[in-house]
Amino acid sequence: MKLKLNYSRENIGKPILSDIILRTGIPINILEAKIEPNTGEMLIDVPTEGERLKEFSSLLQRAGVTVKEITRTIEIDRGKCITCGACVSPCPVKALAQDENWDIIFYEEKCIGCGICVYTCPVNAIRML
Amino acid sequence: MSKRGAEELRTYEEINQKIKSGDAIVMTADDFIKTVEDSGLKRAAKEVDVVTTGTFGAMCSSGAFINFGHSEPPIKMFKCWLNDVPAYKGLAAVDCYLGATAMSETKGFDYGGGHVIEDLVSGKEIELRAEAYGTDCYPRRSIETTVTIDDLNQAMLLNPRNAYERYNAATNGTDRIIHTYMGTLLPHYGNVTYSGSGQLSPLYKDRGFEIIGIGTRIFLGGGIGCVIGEGTQHSPQNQFGTIMVRGDLKQMNNRYLRGATYYKYGTTLYVGIGIPIPIINEKVAASAALKDEEIFTDILDYGVPSRSRPSVKRASYSELRSGRVEINGREITSSSLSSNKVAKEIATNLKGWIEEGAFFLNRPAELVPDHGEFKPLELRRKEPRVRDIMTRELVVGKPTDDIKSVARILIAKGVDHLPIADGEGKLMGIITSWDLAKAVAQDKRQLHEIMTMKVVTAKEDEAIDTVVRRMEQHNISGVPVVDHSNRILGMLTVNDISKKLIRRP
Repeated sequence: MKLKLNYSRENIGKPILSDIILRTGIPINILEAKIEPNTGEMLIDVPTEGERLKEFSSLLQRAGVTVKEITRTIEIDRGKCITCGACVSPCPVKALAQDENWDIIFYEEKCIGCGICVYTCPVNAIRML
Repeated sequence: MSKRGAEELRTYEEINQKIKSGDAIVMTADDFIKTVEDSGLKRAAKEVDVVTTGTFGAMCSSGAFINFGHSEPPIKMFKCWLNDVPAYKGLAAVDCYLGATAMSETKGFDYGGGHVIEDLVSGKEIELRAEAYGTDCYPRRSIETTVTIDDLNQAMLLNPRNAYERYNAATNGTDRIIHTYMGTLLPHYGNVTYSGSGQLSPLYKDRGFEIIGIGTRIFLGGGIGCVIGEGTQHSPQNQFGTIMVRGDLKQMNNRYLRGATYYKYGTTLYVGIGIPIPIINEKVAASAALKDEEIFTDILDYGVPSRSRPSVKRASYSELRSGRVEINGREITSSSLSSNKVAKEIATNLKGWIEEGAFFLNRPAELVPDHGEFKPLELRRKEPRVRDIMTRELVVGKPTDDIKSVARILIAKGVDHLPIADGEGKLMGIITSWDLAKAVAQDKRQLHEIMTMKVVTAKEDEAIDTVVRRMEQHNISGVPVVDHSNRILGMLTVNDISKKLIRRP
């Protein structure tokens, strides 16, 4: 499950994430991080689900971090799509591909929501959710 | 050797007779390739009358001639805009040319001439605005109204360069993401993009230019158009042949004509083109039977902002279309910018038209030349280079220098950048006044603790614009100028450029 974390001014400077990783033993993957002097935003992939995921999230929330589960990232408007493939190779995680008819396939579970495909699409057929 | 265009196997008249009687054997290039594999070239050439092709890609050298009709009182439009996109008005009173890459003066990159053409073809209302200076015969000075394609007398697609035989593929060897007319290119050869439909490519299927020429009837944007002649930059000797085409926008269809935007590059038009290849001789048949595996192109490094970009690898369309290309032992994802799906659809539609007797072939008035000029533009006036603008009085630091003394030097000399060199004068790093402020805040004492090691540099003979673009990309205001062994020769800063290059009144 991918989680979007928002750090406020109060919890910046504390090793919150490392503490929770050590405590739960869940090896997370940081997909994107933007740390500003006053705020922080992070997209992480937590390779677990169910109770373990719930525990991980609640530990973060208890430490004052806002947690949002990311299930849907982008949407392709098939009516607008011209099946060119311009979005496919720039995708850094291979979440976009083409089938044998050259139609675009989207693997939601791989997507990290970086948005490269959104601006790369020449006909504006992809939008961020 | 027989003359180009020799009708040895069949004449145009014979083909059209067979189309009329419903007996013509028509195949898409994909199917023709299979037929040749099964029964051999000679037999296939004897059996098949016409091979159809298709491509659907971004073609920037496209646009439309439009005639609006005369208003009452009439106007000699001096400037005009369609949905805020400026059209060329150096023509008669109410004629204009709307280019695909012209961009909206209000929406910029998001909307351009290509989009206006798509909207016209879709039947949408377009805002027309025009200005004039007023003459005795044309007193009106302005117009603000809306038009649809039905209101226009003529809306003629006329594209000076379309349907490249094949095109270079693109990758990016730099360490940053770049946005080009070849799409988004990830750093460190992160991906490869390509364009063109390979074995379906209209011009590659007539490689010797035996059948394409002035007047050749073609599928254009969903309607029937024709070839006017060779396109600009036509260079068939390098397999970069192009054609100039025209067609009536009123017949066209927005599935095969789409406005598009390449991020941070600009607007363009996706154009659908299909050319029927009459199998008039065996040379034509051999060319129509070429497979993706036999059609090669160079993968160029678009990270090099020069007209001569280095080739990283030569690859076939079959490798490019497989979705994976090997570069330096690594497997890189490749994807197309033109639509392989729509290309196929166009070839299939064209085949359908011919089989139904709705499309006939014709002998061109004159074949497209099999040789073309493709010269670079040599600049005659002397342009300032880095060496003409850079500061040579160097203030250079050593890695072991003390931060406080360096700060004093920067203030005394009035500079913001301090390159750090080793004993031989070779560049090791750079310090800016911002780094110094940070050092004071973090209580660092020596230069090597705070200097940037990965330095963006310039060479003496580079053009100023190239270096300015590099500084913009890295969001910096100065670069050390180094020679080929990385020895520091000077500094070039934004300050130098504004002082020495931009003349003040």
